[in-house]
Amino acid sequence: MAKRGAARFDRVIDTALALLAWLVALLVVGMVGWIVADLLRQGLPRLSWAFLVELPGDAGRSGGIRPILISTLLILGVCLAVSVPIGLATAVFLAEFQRGHRGFGPLVRYSLDTLAGVPSIVFGLFGNAFFSITLGLGFSILAGGLTLACMVLPLLIRSMEMALRAVPAEHRLATAALGLPQRVSLLYIVLPAAAPGLAVGLVLGIGRALAETAALLFTSGYVDRLPDSLLDSGRALSVHIFDLAMNVPGGGSQAAATALVLVALVLLINAFTSWAARRWLGSLHSTTF
Amino acid sequence: MTVQPKARPPHSSGRQQRPAIRRAVAGLALVAAVAGCSAARELKLSLSGSSTVAPLAAEIAKRYEASHPGTRVDVQTGGSSRGIADARSGTAQIGLVSRALRPEEADLVATTIGIDGIALIVNGANPVRSLSDDQIRAVYTGAISNWRQLGGADAPITVVTKAEGRSTLELFLEHFRLDNRRIRASVVIGDNQQGILTVAGDPHALGYVSIGTASQEATAGTPIRLLPLAGIAPTLENVRSGRYPLSRPLNLVIQPPPAAGVAPFLAFARSPEVHDLVEAQYFVPPAR
Repeated sequence: MAKRGAARFDRVIDTALALLAWLVALLVVGMVGWIVADLLRQGLPRLSWAFLVELPGDAGRSGGIRPILISTLLILGVCLAVSVPIGLATAVFLAEFQRGHRGFGPLVRYSLDTLAGVPSIVFGLFGNAFFSITLGLGFSILAGGLTLACMVLPLLIRSMEMALRAVPAEHRLATAALGLPQRVSLLYIVLPAAAPGLAVGLVLGIGRALAETAALLFTSGYVDRLPDSLLDSGRALSVHIFDLAMNVPGGGSQAAATALVLVALVLLINAFTSWAARRWLGSLHSTTF
Repeated sequence: MTVQPKARPPHSSGRQQRPAIRRAVAGLALVAAVAGCSAARELKLSLSGSSTVAPLAAEIAKRYEASHPGTRVDVQTGGSSRGIADARSGTAQIGLVSRALRPEEADLVATTIGIDGIALIVNGANPVRSLSDDQIRAVYTGAISNWRQLGGADAPITVVTKAEGRSTLELFLEHFRLDNRRIRASVVIGDNQQGILTVAGDPHALGYVSIGTASQEATAGTPIRLLPLAGIAPTLENVRSGRYPLSRPLNLVIQPPPAAGVAPFLAFARSPEVHDLVEAQYFVPPAR
């Protein structure tokens, strides 16, 4: 009798725990749904093809976001062109050459983790002082992109290092046993095998870069004109959303529409990145062996 | 272990890589081309400062560029203090400052392009219709903390104030002769819009924001109400006529002598040609 009671008690606890797990998961999904629904409700009526290709008017309350979209892509381009090569190289260095707990590697990792915890406004002030003033880039897309690169590097390197470390050591041993040099093992075995993980790192970096406002306000700036060059100031989507929501009375719905574009852009770039990473790095893998 | 065969990837893989490489090179060339065509313009003006003035200044700049080909006007934000600092250091030729210049800033020259009023706002559901200056001072210093003491419901007052460095805060403190350290605030906000969202979402909140922003939001149906100050209604007409006590000029400031091209821009920004832009931002054009 006591045994049956205990069994029933266990069953009740299990069911309760399962329900709780479901509830928490639903809460998370609900939160995302709430945000998206709110953005859709406010922004969707304003969203159209014209919104994407027109110039902004009346401090952003009318017209579209073409220059802002283009500036954002240019800033992101500069950021990735600088941060991906440096990030991948550092990740390879840490994962392939500094696997131990001694020496230079831990120092690099410690510096990166410290950098990752620095608030973005600090990167903004640093970028303004260093790129804009000391290097004389002024308020420019170049200064904004470089500041963002500094900011996403820690995230990029650490996640790419994890991806490389997740590749089983047997892969490397097998290539070494065949007498192949390390560069071959790295290029044709380790990198392709780590491609999905590297793509995740890249996606995280892009997401952080696209979401950034504070670091860009004082580096790439506030000008919403179509940029002629990377040395022009250009307003990023996030800065535009911030300005419309906070400084422009009656800018709420345009801010929501811009936010929808930003969310769509992030999803699009994420999908493209993982597809491209699999395809490009995967092709190295399949054609060699 | 003695033989180290030079491992070369089969030729086919090299061919596979080439389109990707070519695409990357093409991409870099495009970036370089975009960077390269930074054609030297004849004239570039840079403005920086108050986030209240920046959207208006950017609109005026666009109209000026349209009528003055070869001139480029860039507007950046960061607050009135930065407008003063940038105008002094020469980082920007023109600073944006949303208050009157102080005696210690006599080295700068201001051009008023609009006037903004500050309104005290409460939630639309709040029964309180007006507050005296003394009552407002008492609420902001914590001497009065419940709406019941002001003829409202029995509920604690959510005191909304602005963050340090905002000229709205400076103007508010100056008008009510308050010291920021004495202010007992429940919520500290950064911008007008945030203040309106806070007060609209809290039936027991008291805050202060730009009149232009507040009256536009109130007209649009946001549940806030503007309180009269010293018996004078917070309307744009009263701001224009100078009767409304809590108002501020929106200034373009320069350190004389003006740099090349600055004087014509200042004249343009003050002219009736841009009054529609000033009004579109819910400010009041200056009297001529």
